[in-house]
Amino acid sequence: MIGRTALALWTTCTLIFLLGPLVIIVAGSFTEAPHITFPPEGFTLQWYEKLMGREDFLRSFIDSLVLAVAATVAATLLGTIAAIAMARENFVGREFFRAFLMSPLILPTVVTGVALFQFIRLLEIPSNMLGLVIGHTLITLPYVIRTVGAAIVGLDTSLAEAAESLGAKPLRVLFQVVMPAIAPAILVSIIFAFIVSFDQVTISIFLTGPDVTTLPIRIFTYIEFAIDPMIAAVSTLLIIFAYLLVVGLERAFGLDRVFGQKG
Amino acid sequence: MVREPTTVDGTTEGGQTSSEAPSLEAAARGRTLWRRFFQLSPIAMLYILGLVLPYLYLLRMSFNKYDAMFVFREAFALDNYAKLLSDTFYLQIVGETIWLGLAVTFFTLIVGYPIAWQIARCGPRMKSFLLAAVLSPLLINLVVRTYGWLALLGDNGIINGWLLDWGLVGTPLPLSNNFWTVVVGLGHVTLPFMVLSLVSVMESLSSQVIEAAESLGASVLRIFTDVVWPLTWAGVGAGSILVFCFSISAFVTPALLGGGHVSTVSTLIYEQFTFSVNWPLGSALVFVLLAMNMIVILLHARLFRQEV
Repeated sequence: MIGRTALALWTTCTLIFLLGPLVIIVAGSFTEAPHITFPPEGFTLQWYEKLMGREDFLRSFIDSLVLAVAATVAATLLGTIAAIAMARENFVGREFFRAFLMSPLILPTVVTGVALFQFIRLLEIPSNMLGLVIGHTLITLPYVIRTVGAAIVGLDTSLAEAAESLGAKPLRVLFQVVMPAIAPAILVSIIFAFIVSFDQVTISIFLTGPDVTTLPIRIFTYIEFAIDPMIAAVSTLLIIFAYLLVVGLERAFGLDRVFGQKG
Repeated sequence: MVREPTTVDGTTEGGQTSSEAPSLEAAARGRTLWRRFFQLSPIAMLYILGLVLPYLYLLRMSFNKYDAMFVFREAFALDNYAKLLSDTFYLQIVGETIWLGLAVTFFTLIVGYPIAWQIARCGPRMKSFLLAAVLSPLLINLVVRTYGWLALLGDNGIINGWLLDWGLVGTPLPLSNNFWTVVVGLGHVTLPFMVLSLVSVMESLSSQVIEAAESLGASVLRIFTDVVWPLTWAGVGAGSILVFCFSISAFVTPALLGGGHVSTVSTLIYEQFTFSVNWPLGSALVFVLLAMNMIVILLHARLFRQEV
């Protein structure tokens, strides 16, 4: 069984390749050396202390949080309405419209970022936040439409029909039959949209300005000049943050279902 | 996926047009049309404002002329496209971008194929463990992941630290800031897409087919080339196109891991809009990148139409 051993070995190597950088970051954030070493030298929390003293990083964290919440609210509202409107009604050009709504996933993010950046400059919009919210909402909307849309298509039509035949008004059917049934999908898409927005780098890099700098952009500009364990510390916090969100998601809905919908 | 056209909000349309009340039917249809319009207009407005108009503006910009004093001069010329398609400097960058995309695609295919096979064939517990491991890097911020590679491969990174400590090298090896560092970094980001595409095809591949080939005396190599590979071809295609398009459009990884030594169309676009401020040329580059993506998608559709 040489083949099976080779396969297992290859799999192990691939897992090291996939997870290695993450392990090194987490371990490196506790090192006493002024640069990242593996295994880490000693144990210290000084890099976390240094991070806590950095007001610019704290401000960026809050910026990212505000932006992610705004984009998530906008994307969930618009996306859910669009998904409901599109799922059941056959209209001319529906497939085209759906492809149009999914296009931010296919178009290169760097291009969308540049395009928005130029357009906002043309309109002389003074606030960077507005541009960021528009950009992040566009990027997160396809995930919402796909997740909620899949749930509506999977919905049992006879439920709505039964409610109708019993004389329920359209809005009542929507809020008392359809909405409760797709609520889990909406929740999944809220978490998804939040993660996508919070992690977004490429769009943000064009749209941040003196008044708003998101956390990923703050890290990006910092590591262009220096690589010290303080960045490992903030990265570790981000990894824990993402991990907690995903574990929550997995506990609530099961990971394969969530990723299955992401395709 | 054709459903009965009964709407969520209770209107029935099409199909059973009643002959007695055509005007009522028409009125109901008119109401549905209006409702649909109101439901979809906010999202359409956002897309027009945030996507369509900005792209059209860039398209218009790409026909303008560069002006050192006023950034650009209104014109309707193909100068920028002519420059991109004739200047060897730009052609070389386009070539390098395609080469990068191919290298990353091969890398993820070679690394991902065996592990996807393992995931498709192993027991359910092992399977969810491996899937979680393969997918987990997807949830880590792009910048953080790239930073991990910098910490590993940089001049005073971990690998160079080991090599120096063990006395294997006298000076740090130039592991970062080159083309292959970018390939590894992009491979790390895109591997999950390749593996997921492969797994979905491999799962539907019946093990009886392989057993049949075995019992007929085919060698392992022969089984792979004549049975397994052709049957997983669709997954290879789907994964490759995802990875290729992602790689040629990626910006963050080449910018950080290339350390300014690796130029792709994306990093060039970024430079044109930030440092050199040649917006017309940058806009033309945008449409070169979009054209590259389109060509790949069309090629893929031609190549894989039969097999899917």
